Amino acid sequence: MKEKSNKYLIAALLLGLAFHGTSIFFTLETTYDALIHLFFADHYANSWFEPWNYKWYTGFTVMSYPPLVHQAIAAFSFIGGLKFGLFTLAIISIILFITGVYRFALLMTSNKTAAGYAAILAVLSSSFVETLHVFGQLPSIIGISILMHALPEIYLWIKTGRYRYLLTALSLIAVTVTSHHVTPIFGMVFFIFPLIGMVIMDTSREQSESTKAITLKIFLRSFLKLFKRIVSFGMLSLVIIIGCILPYWINSKNNPITQVPIPHGSRDNFLEITSSGLVFFLIPWGILLILLPYIFYRYYSKRYLFFGLSITILFVLGTGGTTFIPKLVLGDTAFNILTLDRFTLWASIMSLPLFGEFAYRFAEGDLKTMIQTRFGAIYHRIIGAILAGLFIFMTIFTMSLGYFRPSQPQQIKMLPIVNFLNQDQHDQWRYMTLGFGDQMAWLSAQTNAMSVDGNYHSARRLPELTTRPIERLENSKFKGIEGIGSLQQFLTTPEKYHLKYIFSNDKFYDPILYFCGWQRLRQLENGIQVWEKLNIPPVPSILPKDDVAIWQKILWGIVPFLTVIIAFVLNIQLLWIRALKTKVRPIPEYLNFKNDYNYFSKGLLKATHIWSIFLAIVVCFGIYKFYIKNDVHHSPENTIIAYYDALDFKEFEKAHGLINPESNISIAQYMLEISVTDGLLSSYAKLDAIETIITHKTDSLATVKVHTNWITPLEKINKTDYKSLVKLNGKWFIQPDDIDLDLPPDQLYSDNVTNYFNQGRRRITTEQTHHEDVLKQPVLEVLSAKLIKYNNSYALIGEIQNIDNVPADVVLKGTLYNDANKELATFNAKYHVKHKLMPKEVSSFKINFEGIAWSKTQDSIPKTFNPDEFTPIELNEQPTKFNLQVAGNVSGSDLYKKATLSDLDISQDIISGKLFNSGLEEITIPQLLFTYYDANKNMIWVDHLFLETGIKQQRQQAFEHSFSKNNNILLISDDMKNCFVNGLPNEDISNKIVPNRIKNHTHSKLQSIAHLNYKFIKIEINSYIGNPN
Amino acid sequence: MRLKSTYLLTLAMLLLSFTVSIETVKINDTFRLLTPQTEFEAGHDIVLKFSAMNSSKPNLYLSNSYGSIIIKPVRSRSLLSYQLPKSFSNKAGVVNWKLLNSTLAGKLNIHPKQDVASMETYLGPPSIEAGETDYTMLVVIPTDIYDNPLKDSTQVSIKHQFSANERQDSIYMKNNISYKNIYSKTKTGRILISSESLNKNSKEYDVNILPAIPTDFTITYNRNHEYTDGNQITNFSTSIIKDKYDNIVSDGTYVDFLITNASNYQLKTSGSTVNGIATAKMIHPDHQDNWTVKAFIEGLSESNSISITYNQSVEDFEVAFSERNRIVSIGPLKSFMGQMIPDGLEVKLHIYQNHIKIKTLYKDSFSGYANFNMNPDNFPDNIYTFKIEAAGIKKTYQNIKLW
Repeated sequence: MKEKSNKYLIAALLLGLAFHGTSIFFTLETTYDALIHLFFADHYANSWFEPWNYKWYTGFTVMSYPPLVHQAIAAFSFIGGLKFGLFTLAIISIILFITGVYRFALLMTSNKTAAGYAAILAVLSSSFVETLHVFGQLPSIIGISILMHALPEIYLWIKTGRYRYLLTALSLIAVTVTSHHVTPIFGMVFFIFPLIGMVIMDTSREQSESTKAITLKIFLRSFLKLFKRIVSFGMLSLVIIIGCILPYWINSKNNPITQVPIPHGSRDNFLEITSSGLVFFLIPWGILLILLPYIFYRYYSKRYLFFGLSITILFVLGTGGTTFIPKLVLGDTAFNILTLDRFTLWASIMSLPLFGEFAYRFAEGDLKTMIQTRFGAIYHRIIGAILAGLFIFMTIFTMSLGYFRPSQPQQIKMLPIVNFLNQDQHDQWRYMTLGFGDQMAWLSAQTNAMSVDGNYHSARRLPELTTRPIERLENSKFKGIEGIGSLQQFLTTPEKYHLKYIFSNDKFYDPILYFCGWQRLRQLENGIQVWEKLNIPPVPSILPKDDVAIWQKILWGIVPFLTVIIAFVLNIQLLWIRALKTKVRPIPEYLNFKNDYNYFSKGLLKATHIWSIFLAIVVCFGIYKFYIKNDVHHSPENTIIAYYDALDFKEFEKAHGLINPESNISIAQYMLEISVTDGLLSSYAKLDAIETIITHKTDSLATVKVHTNWITPLEKINKTDYKSLVKLNGKWFIQPDDIDLDLPPDQLYSDNVTNYFNQGRRRITTEQTHHEDVLKQPVLEVLSAKLIKYNNSYALIGEIQNIDNVPADVVLKGTLYNDANKELATFNAKYHVKHKLMPKEVSSFKINFEGIAWSKTQDSIPKTFNPDEFTPIELNEQPTKFNLQVAGNVSGSDLYKKATLSDLDISQDIISGKLFNSGLEEITIPQLLFTYYDANKNMIWVDHLFLETGIKQQRQQAFEHSFSKNNNILLISDDMKNCFVNGLPNEDISNKIVPNRIKNHTHSKLQSIAHLNYKFIKIEINSYIGNPN
Repeated sequence: MRLKSTYLLTLAMLLLSFTVSIETVKINDTFRLLTPQTEFEAGHDIVLKFSAMNSSKPNLYLSNSYGSIIIKPVRSRSLLSYQLPKSFSNKAGVVNWKLLNSTLAGKLNIHPKQDVASMETYLGPPSIEAGETDYTMLVVIPTDIYDNPLKDSTQVSIKHQFSANERQDSIYMKNNISYKNIYSKTKTGRILISSESLNKNSKEYDVNILPAIPTDFTITYNRNHEYTDGNQITNFSTSIIKDKYDNIVSDGTYVDFLITNASNYQLKTSGSTVNGIATAKMIHPDHQDNWTVKAFIEGLSESNSISITYNQSVEDFEVAFSERNRIVSIGPLKSFMGQMIPDGLEVKLHIYQNHIKIKTLYKDSFSGYANFNMNPDNFPDNIYTFKIEAAGIKKTYQNIKLW
């Protein structure tokens, strides 16, 4: 019999390559994972056999991910660069997937036309489109594709017992495991086990009259007959799964994932968090949801019974946290580590053969005849059009997901950053990116400089990171206070990680950088703001690494490609014959088990109809709910929530649309009023939670109490506002708030200020800075310093003065010791100091000794974050001494000192007053430092307050602060023997430069207060200028 | 007995020493140093020659302060020549050599070439404080073309210029360096420094003399009017702040102006100096006040204390209730000439119910008026007491009924 080419398969391949092959160039780089794989590929391209990578997380091993895909991209990159490699591999994966689905469908349906339909549908199936174009999970796709190629071989081995098939099956399993480790393991359970069941069924079928006649006895007999083949295959594939990526398993055992689980949308309750439900359930299933009755009916027929069980489990596991079952089945640990979307992906892929079969029967088989005879041809055509329309809609919708809801910030031009890191030896320090999304991986691939952060969270090693449920510091603002908390720790003690440069693509992080003592360097031409920290030592030339045995490195470098070569050699003959039909080939065994496509079950058709109607009702209800929820004028709550949302996302036109139109505020006026309010709350806050309580409501009027929680880079802000709403023509609108009416006295005014410029290197040269160009470190003096204990925490407080003639950037590092001089803890001053001091300026300071948050008990992580939360370090021993190292560096930036304290009012517990901005810059975030003294004017505590609103020039801003409630503050030590400035003893410096210091000079001017513990207070002002002129 | 053993021991020692010396003689006979010269100048070719009795070609071990090396000989008949590599012959200092497989050893002294190729100069710190006590150290190392420091006692002259003075001092190389401490003057400015040795001049270096710590100063103020409109700005400025040597303090010196008002609250403003004068600004209070102002440079110096009086600008205002008492309008708020007070004067409305303060509302005045609107949602129908506060004037309205 002459074999014909399957035209459907050829059509599917052509369609797939044309559709995906062109669209990947617009989607792949903005997916979640593609750039990470690119980074790994870059690693292999540069050091194929060395698994240690220094560029992320202060070093990690690439043996933490199966290497085949990365090595393949690396190999292609030698021809045309990394991106060429990425796209080439993506195209290969498309071919593998389509052919894989075809072979799998042929195996299942024993019908070439049905398999051809399946291949065409697979090209456009929403789960494949999503995995490739939204998630970019290349290894996953290649893994599952090769697994599908392996399935017929496994079938034939078990059925026929020919060793040729065993070899081809195992060779394909080996390729699967080197490209993705999870696929063969779960593939074993969910694809191969049911397949084995099917083989046994088929063998039993041969021994009985019909499928119906198969009894358990016959089944068991067949099972025993095939037992040896099954076991031998099972054992050998186990050996292959372990052996091919042995270093991976060794690494997993040596560095078990002890980290706190990172939340993933696939574990959400899809009914509560509908966005997760959309991405991880609705899209991957897509039109298959309509066919569920058909899929389950077919898979629960006797031959496919085990596939029926498998797809049921996959379906349920894929529902994530919607039901309790996945958690129960997988157990807490596995549930929290695995991303459950893969189960849905596999279930949808498992459904593809039946989808093809359905399409075949619907388009030209028994189903068509049945519908046409029962409902008429027109009905058939309409249904066909609806199904095809829905199918294409899902494909387009999935493709456009990345366009309408981009998962990544706009593409960043990396060249200026790469150039910056290359010039002037900037790559001698570590860097960090903020707000880059997954593009940080692409930057890492292009530069030799090292980052503290990384994008492959399973490989994190620093306890500061592994104890937090955040993937990267990079996007910490989306991770609430835990994220910000982690970031703060890195920003406060950057010298620990040799972290000197930060590239910020998101101004949200600016305040935290400023208040942690960082300074702006300049804006690169791609708009990225570079921040720098002074006094950071460069990365040492020799860095620690976890080395592994040479055999592991060789195995890791050679085996993956070897598996591909072996699989290629073993399968090439078949491939050749199959593709070119050079010789007649025996019909595979599985084609002997034809399905009967002559009679479509009536009950099934009915069930499908009922199910479809049910689905249609659910969808309509969902759309209605969605409309009600999004109709902003529907109720006062809706209006308020929409208004705050609009403000949060800076959609001022939308916000203006919610303002009472009768108040006659034009959009221009509204924008002006909004734009005059700058500050922490209006420019740097992200709305975290909103609660509305209607205090009073009539038919046309309502007063709403709005509790809002805002996450700012500095601290969490809880606010309560009262909003009035009116109903006009059945729509609710918000009454506008009063605006600031204050008129500043001067139209134009001038001010003389001293500006500084540091030439750095005076000659343009690549040499290290000449010694005569190195400025003297400004001399600082520690005026007082003491170690105190409060509520089981320790802090260093004191005052520091710049006694030099140049402005100084101040870095304070405190270390605690016990009586035996054992070092207990070390930390830097964070917010509680003015980091930039003019000549002779004084600042109070406080160093809190922070521990690594939640490192002790993983389960005690609070459900909601307190951004300002601080985890005191746990000390087993009592600190009794301290060492304070102060370093000054000349800095000419952020020296704005023109905020004044213009009014005060003090009651028992509250201090209130006004700040006046007398200078030429707009203060974006004013910070007050409060220093408390006892009756003898001894300093006992330092506290701070960030003002939510900025202060424009020549305007005032009110503040209110409750006195610190720390009652039991205990002085541990005020011995200043171990205070050092720029490495020299503080006392010597003090005696040399200011021998006749007037001690406690301004104590007579301390503000007295009537408080139980504190008798005097001093207020200092620190100002962050967001947009310097 | 004891004597005997001593004899035996001495004999044994003698015998032993003979054998040793006989051996030495034997080897020394095999190789003999033919180069008597031990003093060389850096950069010259240095060849150590030995005569050899046998045909062996022993290696020569060399060591100087930079490291060690083994070199092979060139043999011509019975002559062994060892050429020192440039890395050894160019470096001044002692070279120890040893002929391997023999006891022959010795040392060579290589002297720097007395010709200055470069002046290696270090100067630091780059800025010092005026007052003749702080100093900077200049280290000069004249070196030859092979980077060897010139030999000890080589004269180096240090030249420096400060304002009209130019000075030259001679110092001498000792232990491979020469150095001089240069003390600051009483005046601020820049010292330019250079050095010279054997007619070779260094490039120019400079040290800045910065002012010493400031001394006491005086402050003054000026303002557009003396009224408490909460709008105008009072400027403070210092006299020219100088150190004790009459140098103007460096620009940017931070001065705190601490203000004590009539209620004994401490307000503050600050300024940093430009040409010795620090200026600071403060907005006028909105109520009658008396300020005592004193400026400080913390721990170092302070100013005199001045006192400023602000006179009441708004003498009185009227309060009107309307709209079922739910609108309270305050005004006109008239300033000292009867003009409307500039927009933005803060008016407070404290609302009491049964002697308990339930809320304070704030409004900025606009065109001389401030209107409060108490909507029924927040203030249900009841009897309230209102206390109105503006420009330091308080007015109370008891038992006002809202309906």
